[in-house]
Amino acid sequence: MTQIALSNLGKKFGSFTALAQMNLTIGDGEFVALLGPSGCGKSTTMNMIAGMVDPTEGDIRFDDRSILDVPMSRRGVGFVFQNYAIFTHMSVRENLAYGLRAQGVSASERNRRVNAMADLLQLTPMLDRRAAGLSVNILQRLAIGRSAVVEPAIFLLDEPLSNVDAAFRSVMRSELKALQRQFSQTLVYVTHDQLEAMTMADRIAVMDHGKLLQVGTPLEIYNNPQDVFVARFIGSPGMNILEGTIASSDEGKLVDLASAGRSAPLALSDRAASQGLPEKVLFGFRPEQVNPDPNGIMALPVNFVERIGARTILHLGGDGIEAKAVLDNQIAMPSIGDILRFSIDPKMVRLFDPVSGIAIGGDI
Amino acid sequence: MRRSLPFELLRYAMILLIIAISLVPTLWMLSMAFKPIAEWSASGAALTWWPENPTLDNFRFIFGQSSSELIVSLERTAARPIMASLLAAIVGTLIAMTAGTAAAYGLSRFGKGNNLPLALIQLRLFPPMAVMIPLMIMWSFLGLIDNWFGLAVVYGIVTLPFAFWLMKTFFDDMPREIEDAALVEGCTRLRVFAVITLPMMRPALASSALFVFIMNWSDYLIALLLTTRDWVTIPVYMTSLSSSMTGQLYGAKAALGLIAAIPPVILGIAIQKHLVRGLTFGALKE
Repeated sequence: MTQIALSNLGKKFGSFTALAQMNLTIGDGEFVALLGPSGCGKSTTMNMIAGMVDPTEGDIRFDDRSILDVPMSRRGVGFVFQNYAIFTHMSVRENLAYGLRAQGVSASERNRRVNAMADLLQLTPMLDRRAAGLSVNILQRLAIGRSAVVEPAIFLLDEPLSNVDAAFRSVMRSELKALQRQFSQTLVYVTHDQLEAMTMADRIAVMDHGKLLQVGTPLEIYNNPQDVFVARFIGSPGMNILEGTIASSDEGKLVDLASAGRSAPLALSDRAASQGLPEKVLFGFRPEQVNPDPNGIMALPVNFVERIGARTILHLGGDGIEAKAVLDNQIAMPSIGDILRFSIDPKMVRLFDPVSGIAIGGDI
Repeated sequence: MRRSLPFELLRYAMILLIIAISLVPTLWMLSMAFKPIAEWSASGAALTWWPENPTLDNFRFIFGQSSSELIVSLERTAARPIMASLLAAIVGTLIAMTAGTAAAYGLSRFGKGNNLPLALIQLRLFPPMAVMIPLMIMWSFLGLIDNWFGLAVVYGIVTLPFAFWLMKTFFDDMPREIEDAALVEGCTRLRVFAVITLPMMRPALASSALFVFIMNWSDYLIALLLTTRDWVTIPVYMTSLSSSMTGQLYGAKAALGLIAAIPPVILGIAIQKHLVRGLTFGALKE
């Protein structure tokens, strides 16, 4: 059981900054997902925690003890690689027993734990098969089992599900979560798939271009993105961001969205009100919040209708504006070329600074 | 893509022609090896593809059991050259593979800069003769002339760049995550190398070793210069199979050639499954 603290962690490869000024504390037994697009520095962060990569600045502490001088073989972390890194010349049993053998665990104890882990991950039928011929799904289970069997205090998983098929991925999501509950390790999970992060993690750290943008619970990240990148990245589809100008009306301030119409009067938080608003803002709203309304003061033409089963995604836009709407199938669906009139609940509007991309006024 | 019939016929005709051209000498050797002297020394129309009176005389002859028909007697039999060839080629291969694998692993995992690998391959840019004369002088000082071990050391040095480059390519292709996974579980680097890396490299080791062995086994020039009498190898010994009375002893040469072809063929068959795997090496989904 260990707490991980990253302070001012940074990594440069030559002149390229892979990670800058990362500050994050991962609590004992917490499940934290590092989420971001490829090249955002999440794997670099993970590799530094494991000791495969040395940071160029900053510190990593496990329970207030700096571990920068500790070689990777003695950090006591479990690591699951994206490409499994299974020892193909060994049987499934030998793979599972490998870490225990390296730690000098007695043969009987080793057997007991290998069998228990095989049971848990449904690997028992293939225990004595060579790992070389196994399917991708089994290999990934085996990789997780091989790391978990030594019961590391810290468990690091680097995109473990990105190569397995979609059906198996959803099975593994719940199994991984159950596994972590059972062993209650401190778990860091790198992924570019927000669904994995949202469903499993206690907290999500969203990263982009080597920077940590926001840390929070899945709902915090979803509801109150602190940054326009986070707003666009989280959600499927992500938040709509329209350029707008602040205007005044009798009922208060609102946003003029050019050809898309105008927003309803803003429901500004005290903080946003006291901070004052810039002249130009980015106007953000979730596609799920689009509320078709014949009297709506916002309107956009429909470009494309994407049916995804229970719901339908409308691609809206024109004049350099792009937005999406997610609607239930029960309502009468407009067709391509129609103008969709809609309204947005003012409480669900998020404003961002167009220059810095930072959310205005925090939680509105 | 569907090709026209004339094209296919032409294609197969060409393939058959090339196979025939490359196989004729080998098949001729096979036939000669089992012909009695009257048949292999015949000329013109008397030369036949198929031995009319097949015999093992040629083999008996090179192993010292002189038959009545062959009036020449040999100064020495083929047994010792075969042993010399085996010893020098095998030990030379072991030297090249051991040093080459170690160097390749080190440079692949921890090497900085690209000069050293290139420098190693430059060993092969010298014309062999340019270094052989100085080497002969050095070897004679060391008392390694006409000594299987002296020959093996030179073989090891000469084929080291090949072993190194082959192994380096394989090590470069091996995903580092495999070793990282083993290291993170608490193993030392040396143990990881012995328990994980080398066993996974078995196909690569097998195909590289076969390649190096064949190079050593088929060497003529180095053995010619470095051995004189006691430890001549098969190719050098073969040139001595002639007599002033009968000229070249083609039957005996064919028999020896057939024997010389055996080890590479056996090795090749033994590691066949590794050879294919060696080419498609890669333990993981990329």
